[in-house]
Amino acid sequence: MSVLVWRLYRAQAAIAAVLLTAFAAVLVITGLSMASQWHTMLLGCTASGTCGDLGATMSLGGSVAGHDLVLLSLAAPVLFGMLVGAPLLAHEFEARTTDFAWAQSVTRRRWLLVKVGWTLLAAAVWGGVMAALVTWWSGPRNALLENAFQPSTFDMQGIVPIGYAVFATALGIAAGALLRRTLSAIAITLGGFIGLRLLIANAVRPHYLGTVTAYFSPKLSTFTPPASAWVVSQGLVGKTGSSGVRGFATYQPASHYWPFQGIETGIYVALALVLLAVTYVVVTRRDA
Amino acid sequence: MSFLVWRLYRAQALIGLVLLAAFSALLLATGFSVASQWHSALATCTTNGGCGNLSNTLFLGSHAVGFLIIMTLGVPVVIGVLCGAPLIAHEFETGTRDFAWMQGITRRRWLLVKAGWLLLAAAVLGGVVSGLVTWWSGPDNALQADAFGPGRFDIMGIVPVAYTLFAMALGIAAGLLLRRTVPAIGLTLAAYLAVRLLIDQWVRPHYLAAVTHLYEVTQNWVPSGAVWQLGAGVLDPSGRMLPMQNGADIGPNVSVSTVPSVCASGASQAQNNQVGVLTCMQKLGYRQFVTYQPANRYWAFQGIEFGIFVALAAALLAVTYVVITRRDA
Repeated sequence: MSVLVWRLYRAQAAIAAVLLTAFAAVLVITGLSMASQWHTMLLGCTASGTCGDLGATMSLGGSVAGHDLVLLSLAAPVLFGMLVGAPLLAHEFEARTTDFAWAQSVTRRRWLLVKVGWTLLAAAVWGGVMAALVTWWSGPRNALLENAFQPSTFDMQGIVPIGYAVFATALGIAAGALLRRTLSAIAITLGGFIGLRLLIANAVRPHYLGTVTAYFSPKLSTFTPPASAWVVSQGLVGKTGSSGVRGFATYQPASHYWPFQGIETGIYVALALVLLAVTYVVVTRRDA
Repeated sequence: MSFLVWRLYRAQALIGLVLLAAFSALLLATGFSVASQWHSALATCTTNGGCGNLSNTLFLGSHAVGFLIIMTLGVPVVIGVLCGAPLIAHEFETGTRDFAWMQGITRRRWLLVKAGWLLLAAAVLGGVVSGLVTWWSGPDNALQADAFGPGRFDIMGIVPVAYTLFAMALGIAAGLLLRRTVPAIGLTLAAYLAVRLLIDQWVRPHYLAAVTHLYEVTQNWVPSGAVWQLGAGVLDPSGRMLPMQNGADIGPNVSVSTVPSVCASGASQAQNNQVGVLTCMQKLGYRQFVTYQPANRYWAFQGIEFGIFVALAAALLAVTYVVITRRDA
């Protein structure tokens, strides 16, 4: 059965491998040059004692192609879900190959588990390799700009892309099992993935853990919390019990970065499991 | 035949209309509040004379709607993938073209009517989305003066219509080439991204020759209006650009390590005598430069880019037409 899955997906695997290799090549080349630029910069500012305002005065190259690819990696999970996840069951229903597959000696349950299992593993590898490359490439930028916790930078580094890729694939598989039409399943995967990602990133993520609020004199126009913190809101408040106003900055401290990565990955993996359970029930219970 | 196309695409048309209505409602609702926010900010800054740094202090709209606006970059390719790619591929895959081509309608008419109506629908959808985004972004464009920049240029004006037509034509042609829906979708996505990035990065900057302005090292100069800045830096007396990589800044585009030795008696002292160093470089013949596309070329660039993508779409459709009408059933 595993051999059969490999035979069915050889072409897709080859295309994915070629794309990943090209992605890795561009990122390694531009990443090495950016890293050396960063080290030269550090040496220069250490010598002249001006490392304090480096983020305000310097910028790192990293090439246009590198930046474009890193941004595009945001879409890699949903692409896998649309092109591999959604057709996985939908295309078999549409082309009626299920009639043939289910008449064989392999049970429907085993057919589903082996096919889905290998595909999810491939999705996790796809998301993980891309995330690892982007995380490594972004190292100097993260250090210079201290923006690793910001929305969209957070979403393409660390371990969350693995959660996204597994979720997008599960969403595609479930949509295909329910709708039994490839194109509809692809559209639902795209819309559902984008909708849920926006919802969680904007409305849920800021509340994973309690925020820290700092108050500062209104004479300072802004306040920057230490290290790569994520400022959730900032403004002026009236001081309680006395007259006058003061500034406030509510933020998630940099130490919350990895807990947040873990929580977000957990949420998406849990959602993927729910979708897969629905798929399992739908496929094994329905009449052939 | 036109009636048949409508019957086949009723559901898709309905879904498209619902999405478009929701998008319009959101943009209209927030767009009026953005416009009034902008007018009151202008009224305030005119009275207190703080209009100069308005772009640093004012944030128009909300992050959520701003993000949605950026997401409209993907509208053309989504239309091409979901509507263009299956147009021929799905008929091959399910064998329905064997049936369609046996009717009293010629193959030529089948293709022209089906593709014609869908291209028209796609162009209207792309145009309405772009129109809404352009209207919504009016105050923001005035505030940031960035409508000419990559990313912003691509979601406003008339170019989104051409992108949509191109994505549709690409999907239709890919479907004919591969005859399978999912591979056609993959090819459409990849080819669309590749062509758009290629033209964005390497072709668009050269539609018209860029303007370069030279000025003194000791001064500051910014081109006026919503220009598209392509480069800036310092030229040495022989006309080569100074590297801007390492160390701390002395002037707008000069860092300690690039100061010629004649002007700097030790880099650490140079920092304490910025005006002196810059005056010395000015005398030696160093000049600052800004290379840019002026703001008044915005619509010319929109027109050129529109023409390129419509021409690409027409070429793809012509190839599709020839292949479909000539091949054996």
